Amino acid sequence: MSVLSANSRRDLEIRRYPLLVYVLVPLAALVLQAWLPRVLRGYAWFDLPLVVTVYFALGRRSPIQGTLMGAAMGLFEDALTHHAIGVNGITKTVVGFLAASVGIRIDVENHTIRLVLNFLLSLLSSAIYVFIYRILLGLNPEWSWLTELFKAVGNSLIAVALFPVLDRLQIRD
Amino acid sequence: MESFFIRYRNLLVLLAILVAQIVGLAVQVRRTSSGHNTLDPQDVPSVRLIRLWADAVVTPPERLIHSSKLGMASLWQNYIDLRHVREQNQELQQTIDRLRLEQAALLEDARQGQRLQALMDFQQKYIYKTLAAQAIGSSGSDQSRVFYLDKGSADGLDRDMAVITADGIVGKVRDVFPHSAQVLPINDPTSGAGVILETTRIRGILRGNAAGQPQIVGILADQRIQKGEKVLTAGGDLIFPRGLPVGVVEKVAPDPERDSFIDVIVQPAAHLDRLDEVLVITSTQPRFSPEEQQDLAASEALKGPEAEAIKEQKKASEIMAERLPGLTDPNLPPDQQPLRDSSNPNPVAHPPQALHPDRFTPGMAPETAPGASALAKPEAKPKAPQDKETSAPDGGERKPAPKAQAKPGQQTKPERNP
Repeated sequence: MSVLSANSRRDLEIRRYPLLVYVLVPLAALVLQAWLPRVLRGYAWFDLPLVVTVYFALGRRSPIQGTLMGAAMGLFEDALTHHAIGVNGITKTVVGFLAASVGIRIDVENHTIRLVLNFLLSLLSSAIYVFIYRILLGLNPEWSWLTELFKAVGNSLIAVALFPVLDRLQIRD
Repeated sequence: MESFFIRYRNLLVLLAILVAQIVGLAVQVRRTSSGHNTLDPQDVPSVRLIRLWADAVVTPPERLIHSSKLGMASLWQNYIDLRHVREQNQELQQTIDRLRLEQAALLEDARQGQRLQALMDFQQKYIYKTLAAQAIGSSGSDQSRVFYLDKGSADGLDRDMAVITADGIVGKVRDVFPHSAQVLPINDPTSGAGVILETTRIRGILRGNAAGQPQIVGILADQRIQKGEKVLTAGGDLIFPRGLPVGVVEKVAPDPERDSFIDVIVQPAAHLDRLDEVLVITSTQPRFSPEEQQDLAASEALKGPEAEAIKEQKKASEIMAERLPGLTDPNLPPDQQPLRDSSNPNPVAHPPQALHPDRFTPGMAPETAPGASALAKPEAKPKAPQDKETSAPDGGERKPAPKAQAKPGQQTKPERNP
């Protein structure tokens, strides 16, 4: 019964966007993520692809779409580094799935919930990243939890500012 | 069965994608002989294909942003910031002239060095050709310090080419795409460059640490390594030509993993976090490039008149020195020296007589102190003519001693004792 109610709620509140938004917004996130660190010189404490993944996963409320979106964004991010391809892919796949699953059950219009969700999912993303590198791959990456904490705060603040802007792009009946 | 897939389709899709990525990760990691895991530096074809796609998607917008940023900057520079260009131009011209003279002075040494290297069957590689490129983007991850250039294989770039600036080395080209290239900077932990300390001549391998600073690893503790010592490329890694500036020693820290070894933290000469335009060394040859040869020819052409002018100046000063009255004349007794000449229009001011002369008073060395007279006597003696000046064979013209005339760096024949 709870599943039914969740599905019906999802059908009622599911968001739809023009196709161009699905293409351009993730692309803009990837490009800015690659370009801004050069401008900000080491103070780029954010992960725009993660924020965009969380936004579309929450808005679409489809775990499969969230999973695919996260995987695509993560793989693109990995491809721009010189590290193994798949680490960010796995991380954002899980984040996309969880964000969509949470989006079915709770009200994601509230700014506080968006802020907290982004903060927690960012920290989870960092934890999965470390887990993959240290446990699965047996490597020892350079790491600082303080930086990850700053990044989580940065993601939350960007999400609070960006989500209302992206909300305006959705197709309204 | 169908209901199982429908009911758990979300989880099944998640698992399928995760498993596919884990398998993909597994093929990129290999185990070294020492038992450690490491990422394969050479991408497998499928991984390279994904990198190519990502580069094709991300690089064009980055290039667009960068060019529009450059356009704005050039607008600013062209229309507003032109006030001091004339002065700067003059200063730069003076600098070029000065550098040409310095280059001409060093040219002979360089040629001698080349001849000696040829004798020793050692060929020095010179930077023969470089290509200017703009840094347009980064990896976007703080775990990877690679950045992207706006030139690629279509422009002649290839893997393992050295990337430098006028200040010092930057890194090497890690991967090349048709119209862009990925550069691995020297402050990345996976990088490596052979370096040498300028003064102590200690060699080591330079790579980045966790804080993003380049450090020389794996060298034995040495007290001679001091802060501020220059670090140069050693030339043994077949990527960077020898002698390029790398940076200066910032501090020396003990190696946390191995006793009696140290890590030398290096302050890079190139501003690695503020790179805009870089040079990629596309070719090294055991000879000077045509541009360098042209510069050398210009320097040599400039050297002739300049050297003549300096020679004339030196000759005039020697003649002037001979015409001026000397302070001491070795041919005259001490009481008839020009210093004591009353006809001198500018007599030398003597210090007043001491009221209570002691042993420190000039010319009043006490006789009681043993050895004091012996020490004072040579000072009272007039200096031998050979000390400062030598008489010409004809006895008329006096010339400075050969030692004073010798140019710096000029080899002189050592005198033999009979």
